[in-house]
Amino acid sequence: MKRRDWFKTAAGGALATLAQAQDGLPEHPRDLAFPKLSYDPPDPSESRHELDSGAVAYLVEDHQLPLVSIGLTLRAGAYQVPAESAGLAGFTGSQMRSGGTTNLSAQDFDEEAAFLATRIGASIGATSGGGSVNCLKQNLDRSLELFFDMLKRPAFEADRLEIARAQTLQGLARRNDRLDRIQSREFRRLTFGDHFTTIQSTQASVESISREAMQEFHARSFDPRRMFFSVSGDFDTQDMIRRLNEALADGWPAGPAEPAEIPAPSHEPQPGVYMIDKTSRDVNQSHVVLGHIGIHRFDPDAFKVRIMNSVLGGGGFTSRIMVRVRSDEGLAYSAYSRFQPGTYYPGTFSAGFQSRNATCAQAAAIVVEEIERMQNDKITARELDTAKNYQIEIFPRFFATAGQVAGTFANDEFTGQKKDYWKTYRERVGDVSVNDVLEAAQQHLHPDKLVVLAVGDREAMLQGNPDKPEFSFEKLAGDAGIRAIPLPDPLTMQYPEA
Amino acid sequence: MQNLGLRFLALLFALTAPLAAQRVEVEEFTLDNGLTFLLLPREGDPNVAAGWISKFGSVNERPGVTGVAHLFEHMMFKGSHAIGTKDLERDLEIMDELDGLYAQMEAERAKLLEKQRRGLIADAEDPAARSPEHSQLLERFGQLIAEQQALAVKDEFSQIYTLNGGSGINAGTSNDYTIYFINVPSNKLELWFWMESDRLAKPVFRQFYAERDVVKEERRLRVDSTPTGKLNEQLESMFWQASPYSWPVIGWPSDLNSITRDEAMEYFETYYAPNNLVAALVGDFEVDQVKALAKKYFGRLQRNEREPGAVRTREVEQQAEQRLSGQAETRPQASIRFHTVPDAHVDEPALIVLSSLLNGRTGRLYKSLVLEKQVAVQAGAGVDGRKYDGSFQISGVAAPGSTPEDVEKALLEELDRIAAEPVGERELQKVKNQQLAGDFRKLESKFGLMMQLLVYEALGEWENINVFSDRIQAVTPEDIQRVAKKYFTETNRTVALYYTKEGTGPPGGRRGGRGRGPQGGRP
Repeated sequence: MKRRDWFKTAAGGALATLAQAQDGLPEHPRDLAFPKLSYDPPDPSESRHELDSGAVAYLVEDHQLPLVSIGLTLRAGAYQVPAESAGLAGFTGSQMRSGGTTNLSAQDFDEEAAFLATRIGASIGATSGGGSVNCLKQNLDRSLELFFDMLKRPAFEADRLEIARAQTLQGLARRNDRLDRIQSREFRRLTFGDHFTTIQSTQASVESISREAMQEFHARSFDPRRMFFSVSGDFDTQDMIRRLNEALADGWPAGPAEPAEIPAPSHEPQPGVYMIDKTSRDVNQSHVVLGHIGIHRFDPDAFKVRIMNSVLGGGGFTSRIMVRVRSDEGLAYSAYSRFQPGTYYPGTFSAGFQSRNATCAQAAAIVVEEIERMQNDKITARELDTAKNYQIEIFPRFFATAGQVAGTFANDEFTGQKKDYWKTYRERVGDVSVNDVLEAAQQHLHPDKLVVLAVGDREAMLQGNPDKPEFSFEKLAGDAGIRAIPLPDPLTMQYPEA
Repeated sequence: MQNLGLRFLALLFALTAPLAAQRVEVEEFTLDNGLTFLLLPREGDPNVAAGWISKFGSVNERPGVTGVAHLFEHMMFKGSHAIGTKDLERDLEIMDELDGLYAQMEAERAKLLEKQRRGLIADAEDPAARSPEHSQLLERFGQLIAEQQALAVKDEFSQIYTLNGGSGINAGTSNDYTIYFINVPSNKLELWFWMESDRLAKPVFRQFYAERDVVKEERRLRVDSTPTGKLNEQLESMFWQASPYSWPVIGWPSDLNSITRDEAMEYFETYYAPNNLVAALVGDFEVDQVKALAKKYFGRLQRNEREPGAVRTREVEQQAEQRLSGQAETRPQASIRFHTVPDAHVDEPALIVLSSLLNGRTGRLYKSLVLEKQVAVQAGAGVDGRKYDGSFQISGVAAPGSTPEDVEKALLEELDRIAAEPVGERELQKVKNQQLAGDFRKLESKFGLMMQLLVYEALGEWENINVFSDRIQAVTPEDIQRVAKKYFTETNRTVALYYTKEGTGPPGGRRGGRGRGPQGGRP
């Protein structure tokens, strides 16, 4: 083959000289010398401003482009909504934007925002809500009027509500279509049990959502005393503060309520192997996740855990799970571990992949083996350096734009982040040692408590790979056996008896 | 979403362009070997968005090796002579022996498949069915893989970038181009020059067979596992009749099973010569310093005098409407596609404005199909201008109680209205205002700018980033009517109707009946 010859020449012919520098270039990147980069993170106090109402705003000017961007965050969320009304929080947020205001019909509002090319949004998620506006500087006056009109006086027009309701109900019916969505929903249920994060809207709960309920939810949540703004772009700080103070002064709904505490989950997950049989499509691939309850962000080991997880499976192509499951064995396109510290209560540790049905058990065994190896053996100095240096070197990226600076600081204050978090970030990463990583793995990884969830073709997964009979889900499950989880009715979320 | 996501990006790029007042002033220079650099210093954080693009993609493949452009993109992360192994000589020997063994193993497997076809064995993959020679080949193959892994410096290419704070490293393959990108700290810019020129100068395609399996998993994840993945692929394949756009970027499964390392090397030799590449840097750097580094590192690449020509096989004119009707675990929906024009064609701005008139909360589709007629819950339109040809697509998801046919009819009515009545002044101005604001928004991200420059240059010339806005602002109501009449004809269209697969949820629509296709689809 001609091509092979070409390649061989390139390879073989020059072998003797390969070790020497080519064209006077350094042989390997380790021979490169880089200039030192010193970088100090921005100081939040320089952009922080208290508004007359008691709200807080972070303002960061950037005059490169004639754009202004404002984000609002406040405490409102699905956590405040009982199961029978599930969906109310999300509907309130989206219908604030879609349903017009008491000044402007939904259609007029949309037309004006579109003509100005101003982007306006509102949303309410699990534990926070708010809105955003992005406009050309020349349209700032009118854009702010529209934005605050929406925040203060949403009309929740009935016809828009019904369209959203129909669309949502149609979506609910399709919630068992995708393996990835089934997996994330059921894994959360297995780890957090009965908790607001696992409450699902149903046909009944969506049908129960009324205009009055949304008005009430809005009125109690949008309290000008408890707002956090992030403002970035082409504006003058003093002028913007004046505008925000004016907008916050009056016109807000009566009856704001002190937001309730965010409840932590109290569930004790049951370790073991769980399978969801999903064979309505003929797909030779299943999805597997393994995990358990993790840590709170204020855990003193948080930085050690971060470096530990980066070596295990959080560091992309340089992490162990990726190298073994993907690069070495070719068993999956994506293979990872995540150790996401919780903001308000302990988060989760999880590792996962998607693989051919026959090779899922093998890949799962590799992941378990790597988790155990983190607890038994020290990582190498090269692994430690790679993980730590990356965290330190990318640090300036957290504050790359004015929007990021304002948004990060506003969110930090909103969630109660520690004041010295960014200031000491690189130092705390730098302090992590090989021994710290080993201790963090022993302390915070729990192979005996793993919940293993496989979603896909049950029979083919159990059959395994004839060339690798040593791997099987039965073996992974041990005496406890494999527990089947049936797919719930998508509209009622009732699970049939297994 | 590597390949598909990038195509979407390309679509976005085509939809936006900067103001005359905000021209992108790029410094362009070309090395003697033909490699072009686009440089755009920008104030801000100490970082450089860096990337390069090969002006070739899946459109340059041929049947038998579909997917090789994308598979090759994966191989570019496997190291070089200097990166990835402790013993280069042995490493190269092992790979040659593996290729030979693999060919013999495939011949053995072919024999087993033939036996299975004749009913002599039940399962060609059953280890018990293999000949002793076959088992020996497999064993030797496994030994060599293990030996190579023992010599490997695991994922060293990625490890070096990670160690030095390179972030967001990835690559993507589209029909028309293949793009490689990263963010590097500004003090580490020389590392980018070292790493990228090294993998172009002396690449080694290690772990080729394992990586082919990775791509097969990627295909299962993106296509097979998604509810409409396979149908969308078939629609694409049906829409393009002669054009090589008809095969998927990720490749047909049979080709993915068969592509050899030789074929990947051949692809590299042809399409990755420096005269076929463009690099772009946006961010915190000095132009003079970068020019010197470019010469120092990329200057060693050898020009390939055999320039690959333009793709020969061009789309033929469609002679009759085409229809696809399928069932999937999804909401009932309809989409209609028309053959239109390639990227940067004179008719493209009018088609883009036309699509903007249809899109968004105040667009015609939402107002008509969602709010007024209530036949759809969502609807949209888009322009896909590729290097050699282009298309216009309009689609909608049926509302409960409506059928894909209802959606199809309503979509066509909106297109007819565009052709019949000139668009009003305010409505046209609204779309142009949005375009202008978008022109600024797309300049916000340095990384985004780097990607746009490369894609513009790969499809034509980067300067299009500066003239597109003017072309959009110049579009008249007459232009819009003219292109609508010209392209939205019955014989030029392909219609796809997707019905909810039986037994997987509420039916596709009461009026149409459950899962009924207009041309007697599967019961």
